[in-house]
Amino acid sequence: MQSALNQQEIFNRRLPFVIIGMIVVSAVLLLQLISFQQLAPDVLNELSTDYNRNIKLAAARGTIYDRNGHRLAVNTLEYRIGISPNLVSNPQRTATQLAAILNLDELKVYEAINSQRPWVLLAPRVSADVGHRVEELKLLAVTIDKLPRRSYPQGTLASQVMGFVGGDLRGYYGVEGYYQSQLAGKPRDEVISSIPFDLPSRQEPDRGSDIYLTIDRDLQYLAESELSLSVAETGAKAGTIIIMHPRTGDVLAMASWPAFDPNAYTDVANPREWSNPAISGQYEPGSVIKVITVAAALDVGVITPQWTYNDQGRIEVGGIGIENWDRRAHGLVDTTGILVQSLNVGAVTVSTMMGPSLFYGKMAQFGFGRLTGINLEGEAAGTLYVPGDPDYSDSNLATNSFGQGMAATPLQVITAVSAIANDGLMMQPNIVQKIVDGDQVIPAQRVPLGRPISAETARLVRDMMVAVVRDGLDDAASLPGYTVAGKTGTSEIPTPVGYRRDAWIMSFVGFLPADDPQVIVLIKLDEPKSGRWASQVVAPIFRRMAERMVVLMEIPPDDVRRALQAQGGRIGSMNR
Amino acid sequence: MAQEWVRHALRSRTWRMQRQAVALGALGVVLAIIISALYLAQAASVATLGRQLENLIVVRNQLEQTNEGLRAEIAQLRSVPRLLARAHELGFVIARRENIEYLVVSGYNPNPPPPQPPAVEKPRPVYDESFTGWLRQQLDWFSSQFQSFVGAGGP
Repeated sequence: MQSALNQQEIFNRRLPFVIIGMIVVSAVLLLQLISFQQLAPDVLNELSTDYNRNIKLAAARGTIYDRNGHRLAVNTLEYRIGISPNLVSNPQRTATQLAAILNLDELKVYEAINSQRPWVLLAPRVSADVGHRVEELKLLAVTIDKLPRRSYPQGTLASQVMGFVGGDLRGYYGVEGYYQSQLAGKPRDEVISSIPFDLPSRQEPDRGSDIYLTIDRDLQYLAESELSLSVAETGAKAGTIIIMHPRTGDVLAMASWPAFDPNAYTDVANPREWSNPAISGQYEPGSVIKVITVAAALDVGVITPQWTYNDQGRIEVGGIGIENWDRRAHGLVDTTGILVQSLNVGAVTVSTMMGPSLFYGKMAQFGFGRLTGINLEGEAAGTLYVPGDPDYSDSNLATNSFGQGMAATPLQVITAVSAIANDGLMMQPNIVQKIVDGDQVIPAQRVPLGRPISAETARLVRDMMVAVVRDGLDDAASLPGYTVAGKTGTSEIPTPVGYRRDAWIMSFVGFLPADDPQVIVLIKLDEPKSGRWASQVVAPIFRRMAERMVVLMEIPPDDVRRALQAQGGRIGSMNR
Repeated sequence: MAQEWVRHALRSRTWRMQRQAVALGALGVVLAIIISALYLAQAASVATLGRQLENLIVVRNQLEQTNEGLRAEIAQLRSVPRLLARAHELGFVIARRENIEYLVVSGYNPNPPPPQPPAVEKPRPVYDESFTGWLRQQLDWFSSQFQSFVGAGGP
């Protein structure tokens, strides 16, 4: 009994030591476990590199649409097919199967399979359909890599506006280049675990934003087909057509010839074909600028619509003599007559009356010599020498008044003339209607570039431009039922040793309906051979285009339009 | 001396003492087995879900790629030259200005303002939760979790 009590006493005395010992050991194990699991993830990751794969997930590039939701640029997949010869168990059968699907010579595939190399590329790029058929073979030796590809389902349509996406998946030129960061989205680094207990984490990279352009696919096609036809008919070397909405600055179509296919952008003979001549090609705009000169002079009050001068056919300024296009004297001519007869002497008379300060001040307000700020990559600012510049001479004031001795892009010219169409308010040209980022829609901001002339001056010049089309062009640009305003330009092409005598750039800028302009068009042809003057060559192209535009844009004839407007209706599909 | 202490500590106990220790140990083992089984069931469930998710993601990605390819194909098939050719085949001709007749309907506004939805008064939220209700909700939630947990651990 005594012995049992002693044993119990000893047990009770030792039990706490045993319990404490076990707790200590358990605690040490537990702490070690916690530190391993939670406190040292870097160590854990280092130890488990075999179980984790780091992959870079490229974001899907945003889609580009026209203003009506037609897809202009989409993403597709292509497949790269390779093979590891040492993993092939039946070379003969494999070669037969692959050659049939990949449309390759069976003998060459067989030779590739029997080569000593560890991996052989069989097809660098095949379509998704072919890739799927190869996948279905479930051949262990075949490697199939998916290659993202930018596809332009409309082919060459608006290629210079779109730009292209290079092999590095980066956008170049046009919208693709300008909106690279928005379209590309953000790639994500992702760690993929092979441990089955690890739930897959979010694997979707941030998708790029979708962009809706102001371009109207049908008008763009019209511009491109007319340009292509005109180049073929006139033998021109190149050309540009821009269609804009003068009230908003929205570019509805922008076409240049020659164009390229963005699906095969490497096939161009010269990489300069990738650029967009409508925004980067500078030329001497010629007589189109006379409307700017007259508008500027009217606005500052140097002349009035009733003002007249005695045209003697020649004027001398800054040491050079300037003649009219027909080298004739026209006698007493009023302001409208300067534009209707496109008289160089009249334009020079007006600009010299204004003086360099007023004239170049207005030219700057009309945006010459600076970027319009259009949201496209590669815009040029043009060249306009002003007093104080090393290359400026007194004769520039004269030659600039009728669009020679200066350089502008087609976009600058149409933007400046659109101020006349839009009651004196010059809108910044814009190519993007809205950007859609997930659920967020960011509409484009219409930005006024300024008001170079008053609304009253704009209306006066507009009427003069109507007179140009009505009286000066023999109805070459007229459209029955519609009042059209416009001005031609036939400009000489400068060389380092003077102007060429055998070739010209011919252009026309016109808008309609003149009293409520819905559309303004610039047509420019480089070195056409079918005529000497723009009134003969380019004005008829405008008329042909206008015939289609009023249908596509739902612009009714003037009498119907006025009746519709009288009861509160709006006209033109581009206003919606 | 130390050997003597260990021998003394480990020498045979009375049956009652050994039974207590064994019972305690067995209880610990049973608890450990239950916890392990629950953990294993949970881990297996997570792993299965993970695999299913991965497979679904793969299928979804393939479907998205297929859809994107189809959209590109549709856009190609609806390109202007192709539509023009197809319309021409079907006997359509391009509408000319003179083919279109605009009608002015007196009193009709072609661009009426968009209809505004009727103003609906938002229902005001009723705050009628009580502590006992909240407690019941929590108990129900725990109960449903346990039921699904037991269900997931089954064969």
